[in-house]
Amino acid sequence: MSKFLTKAVAVGAAAVLALGAASCGNNREGEGQTGDAPAKGFAADSLIGVALPSKTSENWVLAGDLFTNGLKEAGFKSDVQYAGASTTVADQQGQISSMVTKGAKVIVIGATDAAQLSTQVKQAKEAGAVVIAYDRLITNTGDLDYYIAFDNFKVGQLQGQALLDGMKAKKATGPWTVELFSGSPDDNNSAVFFNGAMDVLKPLIDKGEVVVGSGQKEIKQTAIQGWKAEGAQQRMDSLLTSTYTGSKTLDGVLSPNDTLARAILTSIKGAGKPTPIVTGQDSEVESVKSIMAGQQYSTINKDTRKLVAETINMVKTLQTGGTPQVNDTETYNNGTKVIPSFLLPPVIVTKANAAEAYANDPKLSPLTK
Amino acid sequence: MSGLQDLKKNLFGGTTSVGRQFGMIFTLVAIILLFEVLTDGLTLTSGNLIAVVSQYSYILILAIGMLMVIVAGHIDLSVGSVAAFVGIVVAKAIQNFDLPWPLGIALGLVVGALIGAWQGFWVAYVGVPAFIVTLAGMLLFRGGNQFIGNADTVPVPEGFRTIGAGYLPEVGPATGYNNLTLLLGLIACLAVAWREWRSRKTRQEMGAEPAPLWISGLRLAVMVGVIIFATLRFAGGRVGTSLPVSGIILIGLVLIYSFYTRNTVSGRRIYAVGGNARAAELSGVKLQRVNFFVMTNMGILAALAGMIFVARSAASGPQDGLSWELDAIAAVFIGGAAVSGGLGTVSGSIVGGLVMALLNNGLQLMGVGVDLVQMIKGLVLLFAVALDVYNKSQGRFSIIDSITRPFRRDEPPAAVPPVESPRQTDKTPAAG
Repeated sequence: MSKFLTKAVAVGAAAVLALGAASCGNNREGEGQTGDAPAKGFAADSLIGVALPSKTSENWVLAGDLFTNGLKEAGFKSDVQYAGASTTVADQQGQISSMVTKGAKVIVIGATDAAQLSTQVKQAKEAGAVVIAYDRLITNTGDLDYYIAFDNFKVGQLQGQALLDGMKAKKATGPWTVELFSGSPDDNNSAVFFNGAMDVLKPLIDKGEVVVGSGQKEIKQTAIQGWKAEGAQQRMDSLLTSTYTGSKTLDGVLSPNDTLARAILTSIKGAGKPTPIVTGQDSEVESVKSIMAGQQYSTINKDTRKLVAETINMVKTLQTGGTPQVNDTETYNNGTKVIPSFLLPPVIVTKANAAEAYANDPKLSPLTK
Repeated sequence: MSGLQDLKKNLFGGTTSVGRQFGMIFTLVAIILLFEVLTDGLTLTSGNLIAVVSQYSYILILAIGMLMVIVAGHIDLSVGSVAAFVGIVVAKAIQNFDLPWPLGIALGLVVGALIGAWQGFWVAYVGVPAFIVTLAGMLLFRGGNQFIGNADTVPVPEGFRTIGAGYLPEVGPATGYNNLTLLLGLIACLAVAWREWRSRKTRQEMGAEPAPLWISGLRLAVMVGVIIFATLRFAGGRVGTSLPVSGIILIGLVLIYSFYTRNTVSGRRIYAVGGNARAAELSGVKLQRVNFFVMTNMGILAALAGMIFVARSAASGPQDGLSWELDAIAAVFIGGAAVSGGLGTVSGSIVGGLVMALLNNGLQLMGVGVDLVQMIKGLVLLFAVALDVYNKSQGRFSIIDSITRPFRRDEPPAAVPPVESPRQTDKTPAAG
């Protein structure tokens, strides 16, 4: 006879017996408050959830620490979680659900895949939590409340301009030969960076002053899945083999961030080619060292401290029942609605201004001396 | 037999290789209780139970297929990639050709069956080890996912999301609960009662001594108690939520596949092949057919799991399915399957999967980081299987089995009509 059912049921049976089978007659949670606007303020020691991607870059690790300490200082209880390295999306979905279960009042999400969280954002919203997208805009959902980030289009523009400036400084007149790299296609920001850079570079490419050596100018051709260093290194290796074997020289590489920039430089060094102008972003320690050593040309300083501090300010405002300050209510459409955004200005850093730019950064400023 | 032994034996329905599973059930209960205390009662709240079911149903669905593959003596490393591939094919088809979503699901199942048949062909008819075939499949279909999707994230329409993120509708009078979930619970209670009555009757007819009446009564009370508890929990969540649709699909599949692997000739052949392929072949079992079937079936279930995940995520992404095969395989082994094949049950795998799921969930609720969670899960897997290996080397099935050594196999005759079928027919429409 089917022992299965018996067993399956016995699983829970034991549980119930142990619990004294006492749970009947609970009222439905959250009845009548579904879909309402976020409540007017909440207790000052409420739980704030922070879900971040896996620890693949220093920035996220730093952001996590800053959130943990900052929220504690502000008197909140915090739950800061990172996604796992291999099962990022599923982990993050589970973590956000858990935060909702725990009754978090505000959930700050640095999305791993910004298009795959709409179910969890909806769940959070229905439970009455305010959802803030941190650094990466969550798409395909009408339930997102705020977006806070550095102005990423501006980041792209600065990168494009730095690339030009660097190449001009080395070789006064064009045409300059460049290669383009862009970030992970599942990261909403990748396209924003790339478009920002192309905003500067495209007119020159059209005029023929800047030449993309391999001809790979489309974002799909230049994307590096998962922002993986090994992906960038492989692509650069292939480009060097396919395009730069002869006398052709490479003047510059547009790299969307520091991790990729260093991988690109490794690849170029491995091939024994002269170091081109390589851009970057994030001000990672290794890259700042590289810039000071004259290898990588530029990076972007998006001070994670400021961004986290602004996010915590938003949480504080929400706690008192106020409306957080935003400075852009037009640009960031996530496919369903325009998300009120607070954008911070990024700063370009080269060897020339590094000491000044990192003056307030305890970790980076010693490197610039 | 003393009353206590009677109780143990009859309550958990069997005396043989159930030992390990029996142990896992207690592990599961212990984990639930532990986290219920550690999380101040959050573990068993409606919201959390609903979240756990919708978060892990696709892994458990994979575990059902994986159990059959492992019982037949194979392994499937490609399930995650196959799931991701099917997910992107379906999402793209719906996006580019305006395919209605039910057709999209049908398309996904067909693609899954074709992929399964492709792998089954190499395993069964060419004789390439499944490890190699599915390792190749893992690369092939992961690449296929990126090739078709351009490593992009492709959203799916609202209707499609029902299978992964949907709930039963709120109908009928305002009872303060989700009425359809209550109805399912009621049906489950009736089915359990009917089955108990039926089994007593069968034993009487066969001239066997039925279990003492008080045992039947207690067993029934426990089961009904659990069902009522679960029903009220799932029905009592936030308005608009209920037992998730993916959970209903899972329950339907568990019932169907349990019945299939336990009570049908072709289901038992899988065990025969995995236990001793040569002997099975000499007894007239068509090895190739069985192997082909388990691989094809795995393909279909992987496709379903992939679509449920895509539906839950509202989009198909390039990171779908990463390391799902490991979760599914872990669930099956924790649930008592033998690495060498021939042993294991669907219900055991589900229990194994639930152990992992609740462990994960409980640690998450406590705010433990993913790094530690992975380490703990790894150790649980190792110790669960090590315990089994150790106990086998000691010539017994498990510690619990050794405690309850007095009873040996004295099962009732197996010729019981398929008592589960009414439950299936009751549930399947709801699952569709």
